[in-house]
Amino acid sequence: MDCDIIVIGGGHAGIEASLAAARLGCRTVLVTQDPDCIGRLSCNPAIGGLSKGNLVREIDALGGQMGMLADAAMLQWRMLNRSRGPAVQAPRAQADKAAYAALARRMVEGQPGLRIFMDTVTSLLVSADGRRVEGVATERGNRLAASRVILASGTFMGGRIFIGEHRASSGRLGEPAALGLGDWLRAQGFPVGRMKTGTPARIKSASVDFAALEAQYGDANIQPFSFLNERLAIDDQPCHITWTNRRTHDLIRANIHRSPLYSGEIVGLGPRYCPSIEDKVVRFPDRDRHQIFVEPEGRHTDELYLNGLSSSLPEEVQRAFIATMPGFADAVMVRPGYAVEYDYLDPLDLLPTLESKRLAGFYPAGQTNGTSGYEEAAAQGLLAGINAALSLRGEPPLLLSRGESYIGVLVDDLVTLGTKEPYRMFTSRAERRLSLRHDTADRRLTPIGQRVGLVAADRATAFARKTAGLDAIKELLNSRRVAGADTAANPCLQPHLGESLAKALRDPKVAGLTAELLVPELGAWPAEWLEGVKLDIRYEGYIAKEDRLTARLGRLDGLSIPASYDYGGVAGLSAESLEKLRATRPLSLGQASRIPGVRPADIALLAMKLAGKGSAANPASLASAAANASPAPPSPENSGAAS
Amino acid sequence: MKRAYLQTDDDIAARASAPGDAAIAVVRTAGPGSIERLARVFSRPGILLAAPSHQAVYGRIVGPGKRPVDEVLALVFRAPAGYTGQDGVDVLCHGGQTVVDAVMETLTAVGFQRALPGEFTFRAFINGKLDLARAEAVDELVKARTAGARGNALARLGGELSRRLELLHRELVRLAAACALRLDYGEDESPEDFLDERAALAAVRDGCANLAATYRVGRLLRDGARVVIAGRTNAGKSSLFNCLLKQERAIVSSQPGTTRDYVEAVLDLDGFPVTLIDTAGLRDSADLVEGEGMRRSRLLCEAADLVLYVVDAVAGLEVGDQAFLSEVQRPLLAVWNKLDNSAAGAAPADGRRWLGLSALDGQGESALVAALRTALVGMPAAGEALPDPDGLAITSDRQRQALLRAVAALDDALGLLGSGAIDQPEGVAETAFVHAGFGLDMVAVDIQAALAALGELSGETTSADILDALFSSFCVGK
Ligand SMILES: Cc1cc2nc3c(=O)[nH]c(=O)nc-3n(C[C@H](O)[C@H](O)[C@H](O)COP(=O)(O)OP(=O)(O)OC[C@H]3O[C@@H](n4cnc5c(N)ncnc54)[C@H](O)[C@@H]3O)c2cc1C
Ligand SMILES: Nc1nc2c(ncn2[C@@H]2O[C@H](COP(=O)(O)OP(=O)(O)O)[C@@H](O)[C@H]2O)c(=O)[nH]1
Ligand SMILES: [Mg+2]
Repeated sequence: MDCDIIVIGGGHAGIEASLAAARLGCRTVLVTQDPDCIGRLSCNPAIGGLSKGNLVREIDALGGQMGMLADAAMLQWRMLNRSRGPAVQAPRAQADKAAYAALARRMVEGQPGLRIFMDTVTSLLVSADGRRVEGVATERGNRLAASRVILASGTFMGGRIFIGEHRASSGRLGEPAALGLGDWLRAQGFPVGRMKTGTPARIKSASVDFAALEAQYGDANIQPFSFLNERLAIDDQPCHITWTNRRTHDLIRANIHRSPLYSGEIVGLGPRYCPSIEDKVVRFPDRDRHQIFVEPEGRHTDELYLNGLSSSLPEEVQRAFIATMPGFADAVMVRPGYAVEYDYLDPLDLLPTLESKRLAGFYPAGQTNGTSGYEEAAAQGLLAGINAALSLRGEPPLLLSRGESYIGVLVDDLVTLGTKEPYRMFTSRAERRLSLRHDTADRRLTPIGQRVGLVAADRATAFARKTAGLDAIKELLNSRRVAGADTAANPCLQPHLGESLAKALRDPKVAGLTAELLVPELGAWPAEWLEGVKLDIRYEGYIAKEDRLTARLGRLDGLSIPASYDYGGVAGLSAESLEKLRATRPLSLGQASRIPGVRPADIALLAMKLAGKGSAANPASLASAAANASPAPPSPENSGAAS
Repeated sequence: MKRAYLQTDDDIAARASAPGDAAIAVVRTAGPGSIERLARVFSRPGILLAAPSHQAVYGRIVGPGKRPVDEVLALVFRAPAGYTGQDGVDVLCHGGQTVVDAVMETLTAVGFQRALPGEFTFRAFINGKLDLARAEAVDELVKARTAGARGNALARLGGELSRRLELLHRELVRLAAACALRLDYGEDESPEDFLDERAALAAVRDGCANLAATYRVGRLLRDGARVVIAGRTNAGKSSLFNCLLKQERAIVSSQPGTTRDYVEAVLDLDGFPVTLIDTAGLRDSADLVEGEGMRRSRLLCEAADLVLYVVDAVAGLEVGDQAFLSEVQRPLLAVWNKLDNSAAGAAPADGRRWLGLSALDGQGESALVAALRTALVGMPAAGEALPDPDGLAITSDRQRQALLRAVAALDDALGLLGSGAIDQPEGVAETAFVHAGFGLDMVAVDIQAALAALGELSGETTSADILDALFSSFCVGK
């Protein structure tokens, strides 16, 4: 059963990785513990959200799968942060968990060139010199050869579950942990650590009094995640909102000593942004209530998910504090909340291609790299799958920059800064966020997907049509002048008489104008396209600001450093920088400049050195990049004699 | 051969105290081998080599053949302590230039390189001993010429400027976190009321603006001001010159000008170093109007920060005076001198504010000094503290520019949040235009820009810093 690429794990990272590898023509095997569990949503029944929605659209734009799956399994759709500026909005959907997993499984099963194999990987096969991966060995004694191995073990590697005093070796409640591989990696010297995350209880819907809850419906005009889906109609399922109260908190406080988090038994660090309810009660004692979102788990199940109530307290305590919330007096708990602790690999050990620095051909991806979240996992899986395939074909790797995608931000943060807690994507992490709107993901990344070879014919056609459409819209807005008659109907246009409509739309007071009323031809195009062009126009000024602010980012990122660069040959580098640079092996000067502990003066020095060496970049641009990299050290001219 | 700053493993030496005669001069050395190297020309090498950091060792610098060069106190610093973060010895020797030259010669003979300008500071910066704001302060400390200027530089070296910046910076990080909170968590998870932060944003803006405004004072402290005394012969210029020098007493130096046209002296005017220039050689009215003297006098005035124009109250205002006064482009104070003389006429009512003075008996002198100070330092803007030479001031234009960039960015942010600046367009249901939240994505960019500008002074802020601030002050997350 030898092949080109082995993907370990059929979670969200593994699905994208194996599909991408197979679609790029590599003979791929997906080894996973249980094919019945492919594509399961371990935690909340939702895909997308702020910055995560952008990730999903980016995955789709590159030719990945998650967007299509989320669209097909959708229960409810909403655009978040409408009130906070169009550039930071993002779509979020409630998903039918069972439907999502079933569709994912069917996709993987139907993919030519991709085989599924049920087993648990316990170690890797490596070359005699220990520097290249050559395959995997499994629990049942199978040995599979492949020169590229992608590890997407999620929460399963050495997974351990905690519910009050209860412990189980498990990666997800009811599913066994994957044992062996973590210990093997540790023994080989890989930087294996422990992290933890948690999930709330699931409740029987029929036992909840919805009359006591506030309902939350989705938006009407659904913008699908996938650029291949122009429209989407669903039977909208509402979520509900309830609140914890003093009684809830008192119960939690009274039992806090029974939480494995507080008894010191869990060594792994959990996410601060996604705290358990006991964390929230302890850390913010002044808050007398916390909001809880009640979300449906699917169309064909009666289970509800209690978003915001993640807990690892004993089951009877969970049952008791849930009953204190309005509408939940008689709630029946189907599954308890729990915490899970698992092995992860320090992502500082990876190149920006996600390939391991210590073992060639080995690509950890997803939660294994210290992230959390389906979208973060899928994004890495896709990148790992693409890069494994590209390297197999002897082609240059795909490196996504911070300036062109959230995926680039995610990967750069991971491999440059590492992470101490489960890493989650945040809008605020992206310094070029105005340029990373979810609706421009295809414009930013589909051409890259095409270059890589992941964009199928239907997507290419749709993209060409959209590109032409955007141009046509721009042209219409540029050529149409504001006339006297327009201002009569729309007083906000008064100051813009004679200007092009494109120019007038820069005025925030005009921005909300329904341009189709003035230019009926615009109605021929999808509303999202028109909105996209209007936003481009409106954000021009601020995007220029953002560009200036991050010019250094762009310029330094464009200056590549060979992976094998000898930093020891750079006289004058501080010892600390030298050590950090050697450990990180950045692939660009930009990445080097973001390594904590590497001094600006050293980046300047490195830039000069690289320029002197006559590397790919031209010396002049390097020198100016270096000048930008750091406040220059006090120059000789303006310093005192021996200051 | 020219050495590069980046060869930080060389042992370097240079005079660290200001040139000129003083009781004691400091010759600073630094470099990994500097203590051993110095021991080779020190009368008590064993004690020097054994000295712990910060210890003073008494001894002699000895040249070839054990010839004593000077009696010194050697202050030992061991890495990472000390100014540069490297091993080093500060040699306190006697102050005469010849002594210092002899000490330097002895040191270079055993392999010390002469330090390039700023090289010690560069090493300190490279070794993380000084942030940039402090590095610049050191530069100025060395150049400081009056007690007031020295105090200011010391305040910053002690981190006073860094502390002030740090406060502004911390508040800005908090605001960035408040912004990030709303960008990272949806409407149903985070508060709507960013408008409440307007006052805090404005406060940071004003803090930056005020700090930027201290540049005038700071620059004055660093560079001093050139004040030219002009006027006809016998108007009393030299008398005023001497009167100011006498009264202010703190004469730093007095030397003839490069040409015989003028005399200059540095005086300490309430803590500000002022170079006072007495123009001479304007013999008569004709000379003043069109002659060579006029030309030179004009040149001096053009380069001045301020002109003191003296008119003899007994002789009165002449055509030549009027011509000169109407042509001078620089800030000017008009002085009506010789008021003690009973024949003195009244100051002309030409709309100009004339400062009455008797350079002879000193009446009006303190008012003149006050006017001089105000004219140089400028009147404080509304809400701005009175310029105080002992207070805190930024002294580099780079710092000022960075602060002004922060102010501009925050002005933009405040403009976006400004009350009623952005109304919800009529008939638009789209909540994207909800007043309170409109453009928070843009506001975030402006705050980011302000942080980046401040970061040029106080160090970079990463998105991780902002998230840390977010999680430590807000309860978020489902
Ligand atoms: C209890 C819990 C709470 C969570 N809470 C949150 C949350 O609050 N917020 C959030 O964003 N995300 C949360 N998640 C995380 C979310 O489920 C993951 O981010 C996402 O599923 C990760 O995707 P993945 O592909 O990396 O791994 P997973 O989805 O975990 O998939 C891993 C797959 O690999 C298989 N596998 C592992 N090791 C081997 C092996 N050696 N051999 C063969 N197969 C193997 C497993 O069987 C599994 O199918 C939670 C997950 C759990 C379990
Ligand atoms: N009574 C009186 N005489 C003055 C005063 N100032 C200057 N003089 C006299 O005016 C003459 C010229 O003064 P000087 O300072 O040399 O003038 P300059 O040519 O402008 O430098 C001298 O005799 C001074 O003593 C003053 O305030 N009162
Ligand atoms: Mg004179």
